[in-house]
Amino acid sequence: MPPEIHADQSQPPASLSRRSLLRGAAGVGAVSVAAAAGAGTIFAAAGSANAATDAHADAVTDTAAHPAGDEPLVVYLRDAATGEFEVFHGTRQVRVRDRKLAVQLLNQVR
Amino acid sequence: MSSHREAPEISTDPVADSTDLYAFVSPDCPGTVTLIANYIPLEGPAGGPNFYAFGDEVLYEIHVDNDADAEPDLTFQFRFKTELADPDTFLYNTGPITSLNSPNWNRRQTYRVTQVKNGKSTVLADGLSCPPCNIGPLSTPNYASLAQAAVHQLSGNIKVFAGQRAEGFYVDLGSIFDLANLRPFQNLHNQFGMNVFSHPAPGVNATAQLNVHSIAIQVPIGDLLWGSPHGKVTDQGSVIGVWTTASRQRAHVWDTHKHKNVWSGPFHQVSRLANPLVNEVLIPLGQKDFWNTQPPRNDKVFASHYAQPELAGLLPVLYPGVFPNLAKLVAAKTARADLEAILLTGIPTGVVPGFQNFTGGVQADMLRLNTAIPASHSPNILGLIGGDPAGFPNGRRVFDDVVTVELRAIAGVTVPLVDKTFTPDAAAGLITDGLTPSSVPSGYLSTFPYLGVPYGGFETPSS
Repeated sequence: MPPEIHADQSQPPASLSRRSLLRGAAGVGAVSVAAAAGAGTIFAAAGSANAATDAHADAVTDTAAHPAGDEPLVVYLRDAATGEFEVFHGTRQVRVRDRKLAVQLLNQVR
Repeated sequence: MSSHREAPEISTDPVADSTDLYAFVSPDCPGTVTLIANYIPLEGPAGGPNFYAFGDEVLYEIHVDNDADAEPDLTFQFRFKTELADPDTFLYNTGPITSLNSPNWNRRQTYRVTQVKNGKSTVLADGLSCPPCNIGPLSTPNYASLAQAAVHQLSGNIKVFAGQRAEGFYVDLGSIFDLANLRPFQNLHNQFGMNVFSHPAPGVNATAQLNVHSIAIQVPIGDLLWGSPHGKVTDQGSVIGVWTTASRQRAHVWDTHKHKNVWSGPFHQVSRLANPLVNEVLIPLGQKDFWNTQPPRNDKVFASHYAQPELAGLLPVLYPGVFPNLAKLVAAKTARADLEAILLTGIPTGVVPGFQNFTGGVQADMLRLNTAIPASHSPNILGLIGGDPAGFPNGRRVFDDVVTVELRAIAGVTVPLVDKTFTPDAAAGLITDGLTPSSVPSGYLSTFPYLGVPYGGFETPSS
């Protein structure tokens, strides 16, 4: 199921998918992923060796849509139950809904 | 305080914490208005080696509404950039800083000014120097002239300054936050039965030796007004509404490789300020940070806190028998239309003879300035309630005694503006924290940027 990009966000990235999110998470030094699960619980997945490894493996299979620029890409899982992500890059923000990706990421940090 | 550390979240982010906003017709430059937004509360002058600076990641803005809809028609944006000349020394400066391009100045800041008008952004200037902080006689000799060199003249008869200034807002914080025990009236306080004070005492200015960072811009009045008829006091088009905001990008992560915070995403407002003491005193703790994130046009949702201020109910309790008429007003749950007019809509024509700063029916916390009222040659620090229409709440000058004005207004002295049958308590016209501009050791400047030379780190506190 493709991720749902909310209509209220202008100029969504051309290729926002689970793959591109993970590819973003694989960037060294310039990428962080923050995840929230349940009220008041926040834990960061940045630096997770497993996540980075898997994401990198995904990234090398597709180089067509590499994240632009050297600015950080930050992904915030604001609702683990629904898989609602906020993705920040530069001065832009998009919302992505992908419950499967949320579960996958949470499994990486548990 | 006016708006220093006024909300739980913003109190942890000083560089984005607005402290005071001023807007006034320039006394030495008729035909212009000066707007000053202060940030970074309670700076200790000796705060090295990383002396205070604006936040490079903060978007600072001063907004002007000129058509009474509480929407910004003109915005001045300020973005700062810090440069470190030599990362291998711990020193802010390696010798005396005698000019703004001194090679001895190691950590300096420049900024860009952008005007946003009708949705169009125009960079007015870039690479403008801030002055260094006032460190001491060896590091920053002749500080006053050094800082004055950082007053930049832009095209279009616009002046800007961004940098450290002496705190011009005077307030007895110690007494106000000790359960509103105003020293000049401490013997009348209920003292919770402890009978600690038997005599009145003079006020103590808690900000007397502290600095702040100011963003000041002086603009021709004609640049601020367009469209509606203006130029006469009675013209609604002569009135502007002003507020300042600070915004940060939404995502914030500590980068373990760069050893610094990185920011990403759209800017989100985290601080705002117009009328002094509003978020500080009127808005309850649980809503202060929410208030900071909102545009003035949404202030209707906070209107009940203006109409029924908590402090108005506390004064008769804390000072038994001193405010009997105010107590009756509070007991009757009378909505304070006077405070709503002063702070949320402006004062319409016909309330105060020869004066108005009304911006229409949109309830919005803005600092309203009728630009057709010239600067006063003999200003009264109590502004409008002192018979001086060039002062607060018609805009705000750097020396206005806004603490006393607002204490007296909340105590009921302005109720007769909307209810001629109400007689304010005698104490309402006397209540004060006991301070005046003479409580500010640095004094003020008679020319732009008007706030005094900041206190030096070497000299402050004095031995």
